[in-house]
Amino acid sequence: MNIDKKSQKYDRQLRLWQVSGQEALENSRVCLINGTATGCEILKDLVLPGIGSFTVVDGKEVDGADAGISFFLDGDRIGTNRAQAVTELLQELNEDVRGDYLAEDPISLIENRIDYFLQFTIVIAVGVPEKPLLKLSEALWDAKIPLFIVRTTGFVGYFRIMFPEHTVVETHPESIIDLRLDIPFPALEQYAKTFDFDSMDNMDHGHIPYVVILLKYLDQWKKDHDGKLPSTSAEKKQFKQLIESGRRNIDEENFNEALANAWRVFTPTKVTSQVQEIFNDSACESITANSSNFWIITRAIRDFVMNEGQGLLPLAGTVPDMKADTSTYVTLQTIYRQKAKTDIATVRSNVDKILSSIGRTSDFINDDEIVSFCKHAAFIQVIRYRSLKEEYISDPKKSDIDRWLQDPQDNIVHYILIRAIDKFYEAHNRYPDAATFFFEGDTEEVNEEAKSEFELLKTYVNILLSDWQITNPPDHLDDYIHEICRAGGSELPNMASLLGGLVSQEVIKLVTRQYIPINNTSIFDGIKSTSSTYIL
Amino acid sequence: MAATRMQTDVPTPQDSPDFSKKDWPGRWSHINKILDRRGPFCDKSFSPGHGEDILLNQCRVLVIGAGGLGCEILKNLALSGFKDIEVIDMDTIDVSNLNRQFLFRPSDVGSPKAKVAAEFIMKRVASVKDKDDDYYLGFHLIICGLDSVEARRWINATLVNIAQDDPEKIRVLIDGGTEGFKGQARVIIPTVTSCYECSLDMLNKQTAFPICTIANTPRLPEHCIEWASVIQWPKEREDEKMDTDDPTHIQWLYEIALKRAMEFNITGVTYSLTQGVVKNIIPAFASTNAIISAACCNEAFKIVTTSQPYLNNYMMYMGNEGLYTYTFEHQKKDDCPVCGNQNAFLEVDKDITVQDFIELLKEKPDIQLKKPSLTTDTNEKIYWQSPPLFEQRTRPNLEKRLSELVKDGYNIIVTDTTLPISLNITVSYI
Repeated sequence: MNIDKKSQKYDRQLRLWQVSGQEALENSRVCLINGTATGCEILKDLVLPGIGSFTVVDGKEVDGADAGISFFLDGDRIGTNRAQAVTELLQELNEDVRGDYLAEDPISLIENRIDYFLQFTIVIAVGVPEKPLLKLSEALWDAKIPLFIVRTTGFVGYFRIMFPEHTVVETHPESIIDLRLDIPFPALEQYAKTFDFDSMDNMDHGHIPYVVILLKYLDQWKKDHDGKLPSTSAEKKQFKQLIESGRRNIDEENFNEALANAWRVFTPTKVTSQVQEIFNDSACESITANSSNFWIITRAIRDFVMNEGQGLLPLAGTVPDMKADTSTYVTLQTIYRQKAKTDIATVRSNVDKILSSIGRTSDFINDDEIVSFCKHAAFIQVIRYRSLKEEYISDPKKSDIDRWLQDPQDNIVHYILIRAIDKFYEAHNRYPDAATFFFEGDTEEVNEEAKSEFELLKTYVNILLSDWQITNPPDHLDDYIHEICRAGGSELPNMASLLGGLVSQEVIKLVTRQYIPINNTSIFDGIKSTSSTYIL
Repeated sequence: MAATRMQTDVPTPQDSPDFSKKDWPGRWSHINKILDRRGPFCDKSFSPGHGEDILLNQCRVLVIGAGGLGCEILKNLALSGFKDIEVIDMDTIDVSNLNRQFLFRPSDVGSPKAKVAAEFIMKRVASVKDKDDDYYLGFHLIICGLDSVEARRWINATLVNIAQDDPEKIRVLIDGGTEGFKGQARVIIPTVTSCYECSLDMLNKQTAFPICTIANTPRLPEHCIEWASVIQWPKEREDEKMDTDDPTHIQWLYEIALKRAMEFNITGVTYSLTQGVVKNIIPAFASTNAIISAACCNEAFKIVTTSQPYLNNYMMYMGNEGLYTYTFEHQKKDDCPVCGNQNAFLEVDKDITVQDFIELLKEKPDIQLKKPSLTTDTNEKIYWQSPPLFEQRTRPNLEKRLSELVKDGYNIIVTDTTLPISLNITVSYI
């Protein structure tokens, strides 16, 4: 046993995404635009688990305010370039990671040298104004590089993922149970038939796995019911009573399990509509030399389903634990594994046929990938994100935003305010910043400048609403205009850290291609401590 | 228990002149925008312009735990302007902590967590002071980043007990917990809101493999590993205490488990799985800890400064599929063993023995006591787990029927050696 230091260090996270996920992380290069507190917190949560490298792009000089809210700056670094300053303290978190910086204004870079960003695996843009953001998003979209857009202001955090297509096989569902009780394959049926319940002693009877119990009684039922499964609720009740009648004593756990799992008999095994949609996708239909492994294997599985699979996916092959003696359980497990292996072999040959048809050799896709795919076939996911251009220009979600906005508890109101302060910034080169909220009749605190700041921001809110053809803005909108003026473009350390956690987690999902990322916007309200996800 | 206290911006004579410890212009300008300005959601009593003073001069915070959550909490509190922070943790630093407990470096492995954590924060943001005697009452706020249910129940019960005598003695408890991609943050105001014990039945039951499966009919690699640790170790190495942090012990268990698995044709025993089962390892990475700690510290900031309404009172978080939070008010239970003022009622079989009643108290999801001791409400001992003299004297009662010692409709007072609580149960027989 030689557990090296790195495996020890990463042990707790390897249990979540395994060596394959860790390798993907270690091969990734992350670019952070703007070394703000939020940006640094995101990087911290990526450096600690060991991404390959990061680069901070920032032209700003560190000021007293920056140094006060960031763990990766201190008073000593005031006056130095912010990218350089934070890189040193981020780098020191993990000696396995390479940290780098570019002390340049990211907006000029986007204007003049946008190709710079195409060398990265992922780009994270924090607090980038609208125009350059749109330009950056187009370049990254065409290059198929995921872009994360992040904003925190006061108690609100927002982020958006943008990427043409993300596919996931290892979604890590809570459990993968594919028992085929309603439609047992021959080897399974055969095995169940070898059990003669009546001749078994009490010990053995109490150790019959529930899978066999259900198949046995189902067989009996089908003989008496014209080969049909129990379907009405009366029939289902009767079926359960049939099982109950076979029980020898109250302690037989396996019979309890059989009753608790009887519903699996009533529920037909089939390809879910979600997976069917993926099969019907044009990317599955037309396979070319440019098709990704995901689509090639999906197509191979679709072909399997339509032929050898007889309408069903390859068998997942795992069996949950159940009350049984060891050898029966292991035999049952082997039967499922054997069938799964056979299905995998068919899928493998389908994959080889497809590869050959597009001029590739079969070693282009390795066996492990196919094995994992077959196991997770019922849970695969495809996410096609909307582009920023669609969101901002060609197809904004006007009617959805209108509908969500009517609920005073809905967090969409923060989206509107963030977009509004971006418009404000575009026009005035600063964010709204004033104490605009007063109590009625509190003449001491009322301030004319603050009042006009409120009105000014409100005009930009109204421009947005009018663009979106939202004609009945709700009353609570004013409160949020006040709140964002109060925040005055500030970054609060707790919100920076919270967003750091949320965004880094999503970056990890995209890089490792495990677990399911959000689609496509998440907003965290630190006042109410609630979060919401939207497709915008 | 290593406890270290930090106080920011207080230069002590032995400190070398270090610019980073002094204040600088604009340092708190982001936070002051919130503290110096009214907002539409804050309470009318919020007084702009005083926040920094409250944080600076008045508020003392206790952070329990300097691990995955604790490191984040210390960083966030210090950056948010809290000046008087004390941290406690019993653990020392391990290599497997380094993927997320970012106040520790490879060279710190083996050192006490609380000490190293406080020193790091001191260098980067704040400075350390010595500890004070008058413990929990000396703090306004207690934030827990613990990894054990027992420890949480203990601190919760302690704070509720203190507060029950006197509302002036209420101290806010903020509790955070994480596991893989999941977590929760909650605000507990002892005697006012639901407490930790009120929600005990929400906890997932730990998987415990039945002993007959482990001994006779193993099916999973986990069963083989449990066999190695629970049956074989006491047999072959009975005089040695198993140290799950010792790689040679894990290696031994792994080899024994593997042999057994091969006998039964069970696949899947690995070194990593062995470690996971024996140490009850919870997978962890930096992001989830960052989210939950930040949520806790955000609440701490809002509560202390009254600059926004605070969480009432529970936020659950799940990040494995998309991103999902559920924020709700968990209800206080009238018959909560810790903060409730009503008796709990239990219906039991009329023939139940004292022993079985004790087992019931251990198993019941909303009670889950570890070592319950029973006394009648006329102060007669039914069964006491300790001290040894009383345990011996009351042991014969275990076999007796409970109904012989406590009449129908009468009370039993239950205490527990692991919790500072006293539970009144009215028992009725069926």
